[in-house]
Amino acid sequence: MVLDGVDLRLEAGWSVCVCGVNGAGKSTLLKLVAGLLRPDAGSMRLCGSDIGSGGDAARAGLGAVLHEPMVYADLTVLENLRFFAGLYAAGRAESRIDELIDRLQLAPYRFDRAAVLSRGLLQRLAIARALVHEPAVLVADEPSTGLDAEASGILLSILEGFTAAGGAVLMATHDVEFGIRCCRKAAVLDGRRICFEKDVCDIDAAAFTRDYLAYARESR
Amino acid sequence: MKHFLSGFNAVFLKDLIAELRAKQVLPSMLVLGLLIMWILRLASSTSSIDLAVTGPAALWISILFSGLLAQERSFSVEKENGCLEALLLAPVDAGTVYLAKVAVNLVMLCVFEIVIVPAAILMFRLEVSDWPVLVAVLMLGNLAISGVGTLFSALVCGAGARGAVLSVVVLAVLMPVMVPAVFALMVVFGAVPAALVGTGALAFVGSLGSALGYMVAFDAVFIAACWLLFGIAVRD
Amino acid sequence: MRLTLMFLSVALLLLSSWIGLTAGRIEPECRNIIYMHVPSSIAALVCFCVLLAASVGYLATSRVSWDRVAAAAAEVGLIFATLLNVTGSIFSRAEWNVWWTPSPRLVTAAVLWFLYVVYAILRISLGGDRGLRARVCAVFGIIAFFDVPMVIISARFMPDIHRAGFSFDSAWQTAAFLPALASMLLLAAVLIWLKADLLAARDMLEKEI
Repeated sequence: MVLDGVDLRLEAGWSVCVCGVNGAGKSTLLKLVAGLLRPDAGSMRLCGSDIGSGGDAARAGLGAVLHEPMVYADLTVLENLRFFAGLYAAGRAESRIDELIDRLQLAPYRFDRAAVLSRGLLQRLAIARALVHEPAVLVADEPSTGLDAEASGILLSILEGFTAAGGAVLMATHDVEFGIRCCRKAAVLDGRRICFEKDVCDIDAAAFTRDYLAYARESR
Repeated sequence: MKHFLSGFNAVFLKDLIAELRAKQVLPSMLVLGLLIMWILRLASSTSSIDLAVTGPAALWISILFSGLLAQERSFSVEKENGCLEALLLAPVDAGTVYLAKVAVNLVMLCVFEIVIVPAAILMFRLEVSDWPVLVAVLMLGNLAISGVGTLFSALVCGAGARGAVLSVVVLAVLMPVMVPAVFALMVVFGAVPAALVGTGALAFVGSLGSALGYMVAFDAVFIAACWLLFGIAVRD
Repeated sequence: MRLTLMFLSVALLLLSSWIGLTAGRIEPECRNIIYMHVPSSIAALVCFCVLLAASVGYLATSRVSWDRVAAAAAEVGLIFATLLNVTGSIFSRAEWNVWWTPSPRLVTAAVLWFLYVVYAILRISLGGDRGLRARVCAVFGIIAFFDVPMVIISARFMPDIHRAGFSFDSAWQTAAFLPALASMLLLAAVLIWLKADLLAARDMLEKEI
């Protein structure tokens, strides 16, 4: 059993960062939320519709950046985004695609096949892919891997814009620094459940780590 | 419905574009198909009766084996970069993805056959008595190969099996439909004199109509079964 | 319990052979292989049904025990299918002087054998993720099951050298046949049970290690 008794609630405009050591179950949690894995017990609902039972409504409102980039190597950046827009039957696809390409600074590469992109560019494309259909919830597993400082900054601004527009973000990372900068709330996944949660708008990584260690000491 | 059409179109066009760009599978299919037929041609004697009987069989053999190449491609592409997960995340029914992939494989088989059938006619000195029936027989066979092959490609390629496992599985499942298929082609190519149809001299006793009817039944049953099982097969 | 059943199965087989070789003898001699051939064909088909049920069960419940039953049924079914084809071949050589011919029953027997073999190949070559292997084999089991009626239908279109049906002329022959049938079915059940338990034990051992 990887996770046992995880209760999580995300409101519109919230961003939650789940931290934990390697093997804590962060990726499993995110895959469950995305609907790729089915829970043995319990349920997950997105905007009222159940995720696991395969409802179209729930899946249409979800965007995911997971461990794999999930883009087609033989298609260009533009074609990849058009494909996903078509797959999700996204409205105003072309303008949305252009907007994302501009914001993620993929414009010079729009006609390049995904196979020739570097890791960082591929990650940016993956983020664009997740957002092209204007989801209500973004699930991101270590989204800052492969991104240089500039791109991390871009990701940060995109996430801020996303939450400002009412979207919710669930992020998993072991880079506490980045997680706290991005998100409003941070949680620690340990011992198969969320053991510690805190609002992190105003504090920094060091303070959060201190608080968590204090909690861990007390609970022993 | 909206999701069905957009999803179907998206996957269908994406696969076609990716294949045209990669130019990997179609050329290999053509070369393999031609080589198989060529070898079988060399292995048969030049008597016209022998050629007329071997020709249809050789054609189906090359369609089968080249078709398997196409099947293998349909999901190995998705396995790279974890794209199959992306398809599962989308609000598209797994069955829709299945039908789109079957359609792509059908198109590739048809393109392949546009080249290979004239080649067979030339190599084996065949005469076509009835073009529409020929097309019908080939399409029914293509449907069977694509339908079964797509499902098992998703399963087997997803499980990372090496070697000829996919070929073995698909050939085993397609065994029943091959007899009427070869028979139907033999009738169309005039390899079966009217006097022999319906007697016990061949492996298939019946008319062209019954062979076609059988193939239709086979396709209907198997595509329905594969379509239903596909969702269960690819989800965790 | 299983040992008792095995002994019972052997006893029934001996009974069947004894009656079959004396009072229930069929003329000419070679036809007596019917007492082995038909029961093993029924056993092979029953194993396929068990395989189907186990495959559906696994896909519906995702419980590993179903997968083990499926693997066991496939292995035992393969044995009976081999027996079926071998006895059938011997019979066809003796009766019609050909080792094999594309007649409906023979083709069905061959297809059955091939499907079992392919199942075995799938099981062997998909090592690694047990859950994935179980799922792939279960889907194959269900699709393969649809093949069998397809072959039987296509059998209508093949020239038949089997007699249309067979019936036993005397009560003794039926008396020889039924124990053989019971014996084979019992043997199939016991073997599947044994094999499934063996797989369960092996899984438990692997977990311990």
